[in-house]
Amino acid sequence: PQAKLISLSSLILGTTLTISSNHWIMAWAGLEINTIAILPLIAKSHHPRAIEATTKYFLVQASASTLLLLSSTINAWLTGQWDITHLTHPLPSTLLTMAIAMKLGLVPFHFWFPEVLQGSSLTTGLLLSTALKFPPTTLLLLTSPSLNPTLLTTLAILSTALGGWMGLNQTQIRKILAFSSISHMGWMVVIIIYTPKLTLLTFYLYTMMTAAIFLTINTTNILKLSTMMTAWTKIPPLTATLMLTLLSLAGLPPLSGFLPKWLILQELTKQEMTTTATIIALLSLLSLFFYLRLAYCATITLPPNSSNHMKLWQTNKKVNITTSTLTTLSALLLPLSPMILQSP
Amino acid sequence: MDLPLILNISILLTLTTIITPILMPLLFNTKNSPSIITLAVKTSFLTSLIPMTVFLHSNLESIISHWEWKLTTNFKIPISLKMDLYSLTFFPIALFVTWSILQFATWYMTSEPHITKFFSYLLTFLTAMLTLTIANNMFLLFIGWEGVGIMSFLLIGWWHGRAEANTAALQAVLYNRIGDIGLILCMAWLASTMNSWEIQQPLSPDQAPLLPLLGLILAATGKSAQFSLHPWLPAAMEGPTPVSALLHSSTMVVAGIFLLIRTHPLLSTNQTALTLCLCLGAISTLFAATCALTQNDIKKIIAFSTSSQLGLMMVTIGLNLPQLAFLHISTHAFFKAMLFLCSGSLIHNLNGEQDIRKMGGLQKTLPTTTSCMTIGNLALMGTPFLAGFYSKDTIIESLNTSYLNSWALLLTLLATSFTATYSLRMTMLVQTNFTRTPPTAPINENNPMITNPITRLALGSITAGLLLTSFILPTKTPPMTMPTLTKTTAIIITALGIILALEISKMTHTLIKPKQNTFSNFSLTLGYFNPLTHRLTSMNLLNNGQKIASNLIDLSWYKKMGPEGLATLQLNAAKTTTNLHTGTIKTYLGSFALSILIMIFSTY
Repeated sequence: PQAKLISLSSLILGTTLTISSNHWIMAWAGLEINTIAILPLIAKSHHPRAIEATTKYFLVQASASTLLLLSSTINAWLTGQWDITHLTHPLPSTLLTMAIAMKLGLVPFHFWFPEVLQGSSLTTGLLLSTALKFPPTTLLLLTSPSLNPTLLTTLAILSTALGGWMGLNQTQIRKILAFSSISHMGWMVVIIIYTPKLTLLTFYLYTMMTAAIFLTINTTNILKLSTMMTAWTKIPPLTATLMLTLLSLAGLPPLSGFLPKWLILQELTKQEMTTTATIIALLSLLSLFFYLRLAYCATITLPPNSSNHMKLWQTNKKVNITTSTLTTLSALLLPLSPMILQSP
Repeated sequence: MDLPLILNISILLTLTTIITPILMPLLFNTKNSPSIITLAVKTSFLTSLIPMTVFLHSNLESIISHWEWKLTTNFKIPISLKMDLYSLTFFPIALFVTWSILQFATWYMTSEPHITKFFSYLLTFLTAMLTLTIANNMFLLFIGWEGVGIMSFLLIGWWHGRAEANTAALQAVLYNRIGDIGLILCMAWLASTMNSWEIQQPLSPDQAPLLPLLGLILAATGKSAQFSLHPWLPAAMEGPTPVSALLHSSTMVVAGIFLLIRTHPLLSTNQTALTLCLCLGAISTLFAATCALTQNDIKKIIAFSTSSQLGLMMVTIGLNLPQLAFLHISTHAFFKAMLFLCSGSLIHNLNGEQDIRKMGGLQKTLPTTTSCMTIGNLALMGTPFLAGFYSKDTIIESLNTSYLNSWALLLTLLATSFTATYSLRMTMLVQTNFTRTPPTAPINENNPMITNPITRLALGSITAGLLLTSFILPTKTPPMTMPTLTKTTAIIITALGIILALEISKMTHTLIKPKQNTFSNFSLTLGYFNPLTHRLTSMNLLNNGQKIASNLIDLSWYKKMGPEGLATLQLNAAKTTTNLHTGTIKTYLGSFALSILIMIFSTY
């Protein structure tokens, strides 16, 4: 409890620091605070896997922060100022892109992400996937005019591809969610140079949907695909909404996950990058497959028939109000898209 | 006397008399019998002599047009009957031959339980054939055409319990159908170009395009068993002998040639079509004659001789001499029908024996039949002043004196000598020498039902040639002067064939054993045509179909390129990438460093 309070407040401090900084050192400091603060959260369960995940996380994030510092130093050496928005020289901007890719989990720096997520508990995983991605994204947004388009597009396409292919072979839900996060990062990064607003929009919607999923599977305590098949007995309506949320993550039209994908594709075609648009769209088909598989396992296999084994009826378990709000939002937001587009 | 009125009325009366035995049981529930049908045909024959006489007297032609089918407002199809030289002469001849055949059939088919149905079928066939002949537009002709085709199918497969009969009937229908495609093609062209199906609408003097003419030639090839569509005619011998006599000697097989005669004005302008007819006819006649040389079944020999004569008729058409072709049709009807009837008498008397190697010495036991058979064979060979002479000899003379393809000429001459050879072989093996039949066959000729038709037809074979050529005015001047050798070519060739046959028959007594060699094999297996076309083409077609359906569509499209291919591709990719994620942090960090270095160096 006390440790939790310290960790959570440190997280909030670090995030706020990074977001509102103008100087590179402040940004770096905020990121470091975040890294350190989340370490005890990951290692909470004292399981060897969790410890391993903690170690990996620390190593990767530390090196990423170092790279960040290096790039800002080089920029200071070359241009003489520490302003975040004036990172114009190609070398430091490339280094910065690498560093942030490492932090976000873009390909080819994504190897740590699935294992870390698998090693942590569901709530920590939620924090890792959503909250901790926010500062690096902000940094990327701030420096977006000066980044290398080719590099970013390559990273994005590779991320989507790898996220799709790797996700096909997984049975652990947390790993699947890791790979889905990698793909979504790819989508976010591809449009950052042309319309940063869309990146932000994608990030918000992604956060909402992933949070809904994490909270749902936390409530029903599902960790594996096989567990998911019998989860409907615990809280039947929840699995139904889980299906909708998953499909929304996949980007299917009447649900709100369609909005970012659609807008990104539109922007890409406006920029005459139709090949890229086609490739990303096709690759997200792969992730659609495993989302469908998840949805299928959760809802379509067994109910409403009776099954032959012991069921886990926990009829009194209450669902968190946050869960339900987030789930609803993630499924039904599409009609509000004009309003969303107008806001920054 | 109002001659046109008499002409029209007597033709209509003839047709009505023919149709009556078919319609009466349908309308009034009266019973038919073979004798009624025979009587009806005899009456029609006598009635049809009237219009023919009128025509011969005054060269009066007439066309009757009845009510019209209006398909569209500007395409009308009347029922119009054309009475000109061809139809008016054909009617008596066909009716005469049919009458004799029906009389014969009352003896031949006495043990048949459904004899009345058989006779009705024969009558329906005759009606269709007469419709074909008298038609003035292609529509009516097509009705007759299809009618004879269907009746041929029903009659060949009369003994339908026999598998070979069914196959033969199917063969006949299929080959006829292929020919019908040509006819329909021509009709469609006519309908779209000349907006009418009347035959007397001539085309403009310049050349008719080749397409409708090809259609007509295809139709004639199918119906009249020219070279490529010929296997159905020998196979059609599975039917009863009266059927063979009526259909496949005198009437149906000449329908194709008749069509070409009718549409002659179209053909005569296009030299390519004429040459095609010529060569096709020459090949057909030679091929059929070659096949007839080694046949042992008496009906098949006669069938092949029919095929050969049809080729000769086609050659005549190719020479631009339709009247001569028609003359040959008419004379050929007599002696061919007679030959078939003689063979029918032989077969029944020998208790179902059709192999000439098992007949012999029948001259003494069946004098009338064998004498008439000899007369028929002589007429077929073109012996001077019998019926065949007037047509056949004239054809060969015209062939020799006209400016055309000398290869066709050569083939036709060769075929003529072969005709002599196989006819003589048949005659000798059947009639002379010692008996080879089993001794228990009840051989007699006592029933007048056998002898009367045969003798009547013999009379016709002898006199028809003379009568027809005397009374019909030729539209083209026949060649009058030619060198002596050319004039006597036909006779010399025939004589050569006879001498050859006699020599070979003498050799059969002195040689040890007949050996197989390539030529005899070719002749025996009908030129390898049947197995080649029937098996090869169908097998290839089916094989290709299988390849396309299962291999191309199922395997390739569905498995490799379509869904399954994609699935396996993704599966491989997934497996490969899973192998990359080993879990060791050192590898990860190393790859991170490497990627950074690469990217820096590539962008700098």
